[in-house]
Amino acid sequence: MKKRLLCVLLTAAMAMTLAAGCGNSGGGEKKSEKKTTSSSSETSDTLIFAQGADPRSLDPAFADDGESTKINTNIYEGLVQYAAKTTEIEPCLAESWDISEDGLTYTFHLREGVKFHDGTDFNAEAVKYNFDRQLPGKATEDMPYAGFVFAPVKDVVADDEYTVTIHLNEAQTPFLANLAMIQGSPIVSPKALEENNGNVTKSPCGTGPYKFVSWDTEQSVILERNDEYWGEPAKMKNVIFKIIKDNSARVIALNNGEADIIDGIDATVVDQIKEAGNTVQTDEAMMTNYMAFNTTDGAFKDKEARRAICAAINVPEMVETLYQGYDVPATTFLPTSLPGYDESIKPAEYDPEAAKAKLGELGVTNIHIITYSNPRPYNTVGGQKLAEAVQGYLSKVGVECTIDAYDWTTFKTIAQGGDFDLMFAGWGGDNGDPDNFMNLLATDDPSMNYSHFHSDKYNELIAKGVITPVGEERSAIYTECEKIIADEAPILPISHANFMCGVAKNVDGFFYHVACGTKLAGVTKK
Amino acid sequence: MALKKTAAVELTAQEKPESELKSIWESLKLSKTAVIGMVIIILLILIALVTFITEKMGIQILPYNPNEADMSASFVAPCAEHWFGTDELGRDIFSRIMDGTKISLFVGFSVVIFSMFFGIILGAVAGYKGGVIDTVIMRFMDIMLSIPGILFAITLMAALGKGLDKAIIAIGIVSIPEYARIVRGSVLSAKESDYTQAARVIGNKDIRIIFKHILPNVISPIIVRATLGISGAILDTAALGFLGLGVQPPLAEWGDMLGRAKGYIFSAPYTLVFPGLAITLAVLAFNLFGDGLSDALDPKSRKR
Repeated sequence: MKKRLLCVLLTAAMAMTLAAGCGNSGGGEKKSEKKTTSSSSETSDTLIFAQGADPRSLDPAFADDGESTKINTNIYEGLVQYAAKTTEIEPCLAESWDISEDGLTYTFHLREGVKFHDGTDFNAEAVKYNFDRQLPGKATEDMPYAGFVFAPVKDVVADDEYTVTIHLNEAQTPFLANLAMIQGSPIVSPKALEENNGNVTKSPCGTGPYKFVSWDTEQSVILERNDEYWGEPAKMKNVIFKIIKDNSARVIALNNGEADIIDGIDATVVDQIKEAGNTVQTDEAMMTNYMAFNTTDGAFKDKEARRAICAAINVPEMVETLYQGYDVPATTFLPTSLPGYDESIKPAEYDPEAAKAKLGELGVTNIHIITYSNPRPYNTVGGQKLAEAVQGYLSKVGVECTIDAYDWTTFKTIAQGGDFDLMFAGWGGDNGDPDNFMNLLATDDPSMNYSHFHSDKYNELIAKGVITPVGEERSAIYTECEKIIADEAPILPISHANFMCGVAKNVDGFFYHVACGTKLAGVTKK
Repeated sequence: MALKKTAAVELTAQEKPESELKSIWESLKLSKTAVIGMVIIILLILIALVTFITEKMGIQILPYNPNEADMSASFVAPCAEHWFGTDELGRDIFSRIMDGTKISLFVGFSVVIFSMFFGIILGAVAGYKGGVIDTVIMRFMDIMLSIPGILFAITLMAALGKGLDKAIIAIGIVSIPEYARIVRGSVLSAKESDYTQAARVIGNKDIRIIFKHILPNVISPIIVRATLGISGAILDTAALGFLGLGVQPPLAEWGDMLGRAKGYIFSAPYTLVFPGLAITLAVLAFNLFGDGLSDALDPKSRKR
């Protein structure tokens, strides 16, 4: 019996040491960081980017995840590309293009003398080969962006060696922007595709500044400089994308010098990174974190109830607290960088007194919130904390909330079923076009339009926006859509996320692009 | 073990109940650690009762409403206004820990009552009846014991869903076999004793023999087990809460508080330290008391 007592005391002592250890482990890390920086200078021609998960596919036609995009954007190029820091369209593999008056015919004049990493020539046939495999009828179900990019395409014609013409069935203004995307649109070597049964997931081959060396599943993807690149060659000789699943392990890897750039971090580790002398870089993202009301069933069928809930939540205060200033409070669904954004449009103003009176009058006292349990790119603290923050605001206006949190996959299934009053979601833009955001609330697809919102006027505006050429008239259409959202309140925009990366102090020239992620060709390391 | 139990049985048969209680207390008093444990337990029970009663009466005795978020005051380090600081939603950690006491104690006691109830019945039936019934019940208990307790509880929680009541059931089910085994062992030795034989001879029914004559004599090992079981249950609840399987937010549960604070271990360690200390203190108190009690109930050490 004495022995057991001793055990208990020992356990307590261990717990104490553990608690004491928390306080000074920061100092311990600093020591080890000093040790390893000397060894990393020996490998100064290699840049290591640590990310949280394996890419899904290194074939741009089969990838839809951020982890793949970050790698593919260094291997592949499309006919057009986004400008270095905006979503304006610039020439890339096509030097110029003509769009017919009716918006149905696109003619691209291709760059000459470009070679794929396997030595074959880039030409009109290669473009046709790549687009043809994703056309309606030919695309397989596992090509996630084939429909998004190529659904309006009637046919692709190779006019001569360096001219290609694309005919559309219907005019679609975002089509050109879609061709700049890293999903679906980039051109893969036809020879490589033929050798790999039409899927180069494990043996990618493009025209970009880096070429593929190896992919060790769940470990790393290694790239090396393409010395025959048509443009300015990449600065670093090797790039390694290292897979480190655990967020805190990734931070430690950065601080130890085992990684040069890491992503997937949140505000809580900022101090830890800065204390080690590294920098935290925040670049504007094209992502909106929002709350959706169930507009077809329950308490929030009523627009007044939805507006009252919006008025009960102090969004700027909540965002400041949860994301500690690293994300921006949102007033509209459209991120601020997209055409059509208007800062004068705001959701119902914060007024808890009026909200309390209104909700009391409408008899809204108990609501059911569903949320996701894991962090998402647009919500780094996870859905549970966000839901609890909202629960805190609503309890002050007399509304009790039950929160059910599920893992992401289960959550999506339940959300589509519509068994909720309030839920949380987010949207990351693909192509920098406002339609890409705004059409979400115009579809009948419950996996996109979670609030089941339907407005004839809104849908008309969206249909008109798709065929209107880029310009002020088109932007005005989306501003009008935003006004409808602010008034009808099917969703409450919460925040626009930033990309947060930890960058080692000796790394220069890194930028996280809103649409194409991490182009590393211009990054240098001292 | 069996020998010890027989000794206890004989002893209790000779002495009167009042004097036994007194002698347990006398010997418990000798162990300083057990007394410390008992004082902490009484303190915890008082906190739990006071917060529970005042909450029911609508009086706010805690400095802050433990469940009320104040986003403008998140991550305040410990200071005069917030003794233990505030969490990520601006809730006062001191108030939450005080409020969490009743949850942890309630779960601890409920789990023990739940598992004791079923464990005693199953163990007594198995021990007294013997044969096939014994084999079936005890092999089933062995199967349950072969699965690590917390894993089993997590699986049950995944099936039952989130909530305090379900946590009690899950942890309770997991702890049944321990009681069943103790009771069965004691019953096996007690049923061969002369007074049991005598009770049977004068025509008592099995149920009456089990509850009236056998169980009162195997109660001491059960009490010791139950005291230690409470600390185990508090720890298991905290583990489930830590994994996000425990309570419906915004309820303050120590393990849940610890789990949600783990992300802030470097930036705001106080969000983590205080719930951790609360768990440690409660578990330590029940363990110390349980150990002292087990010594006090052991006739060999008592008669020292």
